[in-house]
Amino acid sequence: MSDAVAASTPQMEFHPQPGPGRATPWAFPAPERSRLDNGLTVLRCHRPGQQVIAVEVSLDAPLEAEPTGLDGVATIMARAFSEGTDKLSAEDFTAELERCGATLDAHADHPAVRVSLEVPASRLDKALGLLADALRAPAFPDNEVERLVNNRLDEIPHELANPARRAAMALAAEIFPADSRLSRPRQGTEETVARIDAAAVRAFYEAHVRPATATVVVVGDFTGIDLDEVLGTSLGAWTGASAETRPVPAVSTDDTGRVVIVDRPGAVQTQLLIGRVGPDRHERVWPAQVLGTYCLGGTLTSRLDRVLREEKGYTYGVRAFGQVLRSAPPSSTGAGTGMLAISGSVDTPNTGPALEDLWTVLRTLAAEGLTEAERDVAVQNLVGVAPLKYETAAAVAGTLADQVEQFLPDDFQARMYERLAETGTVEATAAAVNAFPVDRMVTVLVGDAAEITEPVKALGIGPVTVIPA
Amino acid sequence: MPMGHTATQQAGSGGLTATEHRLANGLRVVLSEDHLTPVAAVCLWYDVGSRHEVKGRTGLAHLFEHLMFQGSAQVKGNGHFELVQGAGGSLNGTTSFERTNYFETMPAHQVELALWLEADRMGSLLTALDDESMENQRDVVKNERRQRYDNVPYGTAFEKLTAMAYPEGHPYHHTPIGSMADLDAASLEDARAFFRTYYAPGNAVLAVVGDIDPEQTLAWIEKYFGSIPAHDGKQPPRDGTLPDTIGAELREVVREEVPSRALMAAYRLPHDGTRESDAADLALTILGGGESSRLHNRLVRHDRTAVAAGFGLLRLAGAPSLGWLDVKASGGVEVPAIEAAVDEELARFAVEGPTPQEMERAQAQLEREWLDRLATVSGRADELCRFAVLFGDPQLALTAVQRILEVTPEEVQAVAKARLHPGNRAVLVYEPTAPQDSAAADQNEEEETAK
Repeated sequence: MSDAVAASTPQMEFHPQPGPGRATPWAFPAPERSRLDNGLTVLRCHRPGQQVIAVEVSLDAPLEAEPTGLDGVATIMARAFSEGTDKLSAEDFTAELERCGATLDAHADHPAVRVSLEVPASRLDKALGLLADALRAPAFPDNEVERLVNNRLDEIPHELANPARRAAMALAAEIFPADSRLSRPRQGTEETVARIDAAAVRAFYEAHVRPATATVVVVGDFTGIDLDEVLGTSLGAWTGASAETRPVPAVSTDDTGRVVIVDRPGAVQTQLLIGRVGPDRHERVWPAQVLGTYCLGGTLTSRLDRVLREEKGYTYGVRAFGQVLRSAPPSSTGAGTGMLAISGSVDTPNTGPALEDLWTVLRTLAAEGLTEAERDVAVQNLVGVAPLKYETAAAVAGTLADQVEQFLPDDFQARMYERLAETGTVEATAAAVNAFPVDRMVTVLVGDAAEITEPVKALGIGPVTVIPA
Repeated sequence: MPMGHTATQQAGSGGLTATEHRLANGLRVVLSEDHLTPVAAVCLWYDVGSRHEVKGRTGLAHLFEHLMFQGSAQVKGNGHFELVQGAGGSLNGTTSFERTNYFETMPAHQVELALWLEADRMGSLLTALDDESMENQRDVVKNERRQRYDNVPYGTAFEKLTAMAYPEGHPYHHTPIGSMADLDAASLEDARAFFRTYYAPGNAVLAVVGDIDPEQTLAWIEKYFGSIPAHDGKQPPRDGTLPDTIGAELREVVREEVPSRALMAAYRLPHDGTRESDAADLALTILGGGESSRLHNRLVRHDRTAVAAGFGLLRLAGAPSLGWLDVKASGGVEVPAIEAAVDEELARFAVEGPTPQEMERAQAQLEREWLDRLATVSGRADELCRFAVLFGDPQLALTAVQRILEVTPEEVQAVAKARLHPGNRAVLVYEPTAPQDSAAADQNEEEETAK
């Protein structure tokens, strides 16, 4: 098309920006809670139209329960659940699951081992039967556990080579003392994983896995399904000792402002992870912190990306977030532990300028606070996206299981939306400033030390240490 | 034999229906109602992707996608993001070889806002597009390239395989992210010309799915999009026709600082939209999808030569699809040992075909993946657009899973025999090098600085 033609192209007719229609009320679903005869806690939630049913099983086998020197045994156990049962060999078990159109994932994290099943509703009974067998009577064959251990050892170099994973490992090692499980990689190190064998896996299973301390969350369209019958004949057949409460260890932390550079010579970008220890969801500040963190770095129109991405082009995106690592029951004396962090990657030559701008954003926030408009938009987004975020069965099940593992009431997320709406600008500002204090952040940079060390030292954000990748 | 065994009565469509409309300016519209949750998805596919780019301007379609979020006549700066997020919505855009899509998922009562925003930029982007946005988003996209491809191990493998599987000059020879040099070379005038050529109502499909009143929605679409002038400056993309098979194996050895050896390969497969491509999907699932696949069982479970082994399928409509093999070697295992085992498994599959149990598993897995895509309004909207843009009929989305369930074992065997052999692949072998030491990282690395 020539310019002459383009210039004469008629314009569209413009209309003013439309306002919203009438909102349909939506609430985070309330699960129905019950208990099977074997002590297994059941949370269920009927979601019409969700034809893929999500099942989350949370086992009270936290990482801190791993025996000394055997970091990774919970991970190997989780993976070994799909390596055969008293009825099926490892290969047949996996084949049967896939024949249901199911996926089964299991992983170990600080609060629990989580086993997640997703399956079309018509095959729920068969898949739940397989899941129940895996939990009730796992075979843990010597040769398959040995293979999982070797496979895990092979994975470690890949994780160390991933800048984001490497940064997360370095930050955890910095902010938590070495004797805290929180300081060490969730899936173990080469040294600890190499010690794991089938006997260790079975011992961990026998000590920590039983129905009385487990919870199953089932979410989806239950039309035509007798869930009590399906659960009773599958997970109901699982037996074990009664529940015991487990103390959650207290954690000390060190958030003195400092910088650790993990050297990756030749890296074209610097991965940054700037963090410190924070509260868990039991703290009253949580909703205000969610709001403040969103305003700081929740999206590309938040304060950090407005400068670092949309003004300067230093990055594809930088995010601020708070996550819970380990909570304690409300009855206990210990407090929970979370992590607050800012993460992203910036090109190597602009690492110094990007960090300088980042600190300027934090200082400006502390000096001037958030605006009412920022707070309002954040609330509208965080509350407004709820029905989108929880459209699938898997999303609802995941949040319900998280609540269980964090000792929160079943209506925590539902109440959260009311609490966000009640949180004012002053509270959100205070929470954000306390969450990201300019002189008490630990900065991990995975990048080319030869290029970035001097510019970073010049920023005065703390002493700089360089460690090998 | 359990052929065509389905998990749901409607074979995955979940009772979904869709209606089609066309505005006078050529904009195609697809509407699908579902009142289970008070949300609605707006999805707009433009029939333009990296295959439409010309030599020296790779990455332009994707860079342009970023510019679509930089404001238009009535939307200032980042207003598109701010307004959608402030309304409780989520949004993004993506660029592939064959299309560029933009999508907003909204609380149902805010769907009109998303339509107004999409219409504003379709009709008036150029009034707001300036050098400042162009320079800024060029830097952002270059950092996207570094983050997703250049700064991660094996990050450029897909780009290398694509370049081998589609010869020099072929529209799919380069990937959507483009090269740093071409991103640097793109000018504001290139972006303007790109918009004038491709961002026309007649070159787009708009799907609105979810808790909507179809009549009201169509009225809004007519109101906001209806006056955007039709224009038709689009040239057809360069011909993507290629022989069914590569003919002889292509091979490249990459020596880089990666954590382990790797064997990757790209096989040319039938075009998306054909029955043969569904058969190929099943073949790849049986051979390399999930933990009961033949390659996983052989390499990871039995031989213990691999950390992970699998096949992926990149469905393409305008050129042969790609079957992507990815095997990461275990410990000190050498690539030839892995390659021999892969070849043996593929050859055996070509001779024997799938077992009934394998067919049932693969069909069940693909059916669940389809149900997952349909579980959200945004997933449904995207599928309706996909079938409308690439195959001219959104209704095909509603029967896609049924077509997969109808494929026979003989068809799966036939496509494996014809396509999954060494003469039809580009191979990429990774051999790790020792880490670069700090002293070796000299000043020569700095020439990429862009300011």
